[in-house]
Amino acid sequence: MYQYDDYDRRIIIERAQQFRGQVARRLSGEITEEEFKPLRLQNGLYMQLHAYMLRVAIPYGLLSSKQVRKLAHIARTYDKGYAHLTTRQNIQYNWPRLANVPVILDELASVEMHAVQTSGNCVRNITSDHFAGIARDEIEDPRPYCEILRQWSTFHPEFAHLPRKFKIAVTAAPGEDRAAVRFHDIGLRMVENAQGERGFEVLVGGGLGRTPVIAEVVRDFLPKRHMLSYIESILRVYNLAGRRDNKHKARIKILVTALGVEEFRRRVEEDWEKSRTPALELPDAEVARVSAFFAPPPYENIAADPDRLISLGLGRDRDLGNWVKNNVFPHKVPGYSAVVISVKKPGIPPGDVSDTQLDAIADIADRFSFGHTVVTHTQNLVLPDVKTSELPRLHAELRALDLGEANVGKLTDVITCPGLDYCDLANARSIPLSLEIAERFDRIDYLNDVGDVSIKISGCINACGHHHVGNIGILGIDKRGEEFYQLMLGGSPGNDASIGKILGRALAQNEIVDAVEKVLGRYLEIRDSIDERFLDTVRRVGFDPFKEAVYGSADPLEAAGGD
Amino acid sequence: MPAANHWIVTGNFTDDGAVAWRRADGTWSRAIAEAGLLADEASAKAIAARAVAAEQREICDPYGIEVFAEGTTIDPLTARQRIRANGPTTPIRRPDSGISR
Amino acid sequence: MQIIRDRKIVEDDFIHVADGAELPESGKPIVTLARFLKERATLLPRYPAVGVRIASDKLPSDVPDLAKLALIAVEFPKFTDGRGYSTGRMLRDRHGFTGELRAVGWVLRDQLFYLERCGFNAFEMKPGKPLESGLEAFKEFTVTYQAAVDDPRPFYRRR
Repeated sequence: MYQYDDYDRRIIIERAQQFRGQVARRLSGEITEEEFKPLRLQNGLYMQLHAYMLRVAIPYGLLSSKQVRKLAHIARTYDKGYAHLTTRQNIQYNWPRLANVPVILDELASVEMHAVQTSGNCVRNITSDHFAGIARDEIEDPRPYCEILRQWSTFHPEFAHLPRKFKIAVTAAPGEDRAAVRFHDIGLRMVENAQGERGFEVLVGGGLGRTPVIAEVVRDFLPKRHMLSYIESILRVYNLAGRRDNKHKARIKILVTALGVEEFRRRVEEDWEKSRTPALELPDAEVARVSAFFAPPPYENIAADPDRLISLGLGRDRDLGNWVKNNVFPHKVPGYSAVVISVKKPGIPPGDVSDTQLDAIADIADRFSFGHTVVTHTQNLVLPDVKTSELPRLHAELRALDLGEANVGKLTDVITCPGLDYCDLANARSIPLSLEIAERFDRIDYLNDVGDVSIKISGCINACGHHHVGNIGILGIDKRGEEFYQLMLGGSPGNDASIGKILGRALAQNEIVDAVEKVLGRYLEIRDSIDERFLDTVRRVGFDPFKEAVYGSADPLEAAGGD
Repeated sequence: MPAANHWIVTGNFTDDGAVAWRRADGTWSRAIAEAGLLADEASAKAIAARAVAAEQREICDPYGIEVFAEGTTIDPLTARQRIRANGPTTPIRRPDSGISR
Repeated sequence: MQIIRDRKIVEDDFIHVADGAELPESGKPIVTLARFLKERATLLPRYPAVGVRIASDKLPSDVPDLAKLALIAVEFPKFTDGRGYSTGRMLRDRHGFTGELRAVGWVLRDQLFYLERCGFNAFEMKPGKPLESGLEAFKEFTVTYQAAVDDPRPFYRRR
């Protein structure tokens, strides 16, 4: 993975020092909360309901075991013994004291980490495919470009005060979009043109939130060397013309929609003609320098044995078999597999990992996966480079840590925002619903029968839980101070991107999981075969059968045992 | 749900972000039961505005909320304020303060 | 009034003139863009130096006679209005403006580093804020990644 040079290190150390000064000025009263707020937000420090929350950047989700141990240490020393994986491949601490935050930043800087631009109206953490570098279907490893973007965006002087936050995602796998690039302010999809050159398809104006929009293609093919100058032009057009009068209409998607993609493209191209200079072109030498850090680890030469996984999946140990079927993914190198560690266990808030679990994961990463771990936007962890022959041993170790759930991509692998238990913006709680779902459907045969289905829960319209792109989406709303939930069906974040639609009237907290169960029960009745996924059934039959299942009976309790 | 019968003033402590409730004597408490009761929105607003001006070093973003108060208990009327008063409703690793200082 | 100019605290030698107000007998006035558009034929020959103050929604192309202006003051109505950063960069990089580029309005210490990189060399700080503290801000970072007005080479051409 990327290693800081003196240049990178200095910037992060100086940033920690600068924030120490800002905190001191706040604590001394030299600056007010109103003045401090935008400063702390540029450094990922929020004020939540009960405490400050510090969001730590994990560029494109990648962590070394040394970094994981540091995150454990911080959780233990400065927080309540846990950290929370976010839906943008970052990590959050929910209970830091203000005076400790500069100390935490020093600790992070010592392992080449930071909290720069993890909030605020600036370019946020660059996200990518959680299987980047190992996916069989990728054209090239996208992480060097993510890292170059990370450096470019760090303290960009012109774009530190945009109309609203700005999220960029990169994928290089044409077959499956695991980075949801169509739901980002800018999505870059690596493609090859007719001449065999590699470049990016540039998508702009996607996003969730109050107004979910699927991004539009602004450029079919951008040669890689122009990546930064072209993105600067997009940001300049947005910085100057994006709305600043209403924060709900300030994202770039609103500008692209208002201007139309043609006019937006014209403005970007016009600015680009004026602003691009030869100096801004990305030299091959720099791409090579950064790429060298992402060179493959020293894989052993293992003969391909495709039957191995199948036999593990069908073996006598059913727990192992289910885990291999659901949590293990193909790797481009024969004899290796990618493992997704589920951080979704009944009774534990989704995405919460304890300090002891983090320490143990670091040890496991060292022994099984060349010391690397990746945070997924689905709030799980990936061990990217596990020898297929070691899967049984790894599974046994993970199970002992309460990290052996075999539910990746299944019903109980719920994406959940912090919701009203923590978040100042939330209208309703999310975690209790997620826990109830985990409890209710904690039967592996049922999970396997229902198959691939995503449930995504957001506690408010800001959509941190990505509810619009859940096959089943749940959105918390506030009705005169009480929590209610809207149920949505049909969303998908990938290449077949679609935005879910509301099924019917909002439901009370004690109705919503029953409703999910009814929807699933109806799906099991009407799917045309066991191979028809939930999403495909919804797309085929529409909403009526599901409306009837949820709202058809006058007494929701009577209809509860639908399956 | 009882009807609101008083107002109180709340915010968050600058030092650790904990929920703060304004006592009748003008100091700030971590327990809602100690909040000073006010008759109406206008008094709450006036006190919050004064606190923004004079107490911003100690307290962030003070504002008034409606409550139902009876005897020694003060009950907030929204889910949000109930959670602010009582903490997260879901398990946390170390629910005690648990932070090395 | 004191301002920061070229990283030093100096006495301001320009005078802000409100739209209805009378122009000074002599000295260096700063007028609004609206007034400049109306009166530039008389303003430019009358004073040794003229400055124009532009709102955050104006672009460099909205200002005529750029080459004859000694100063452009860009308004920052609030901390979060970042249009002026692009305006500054375009004035310097694209329009070759070489006069004083001044940030006025909601200007606090922690914006100065970014503003300077975008071509601003003068700063009227928000009233009540110590200018000495502002001077510190320029020294907080000794390295940068991006091409900007202060260095047209991005990081990958400087390492």
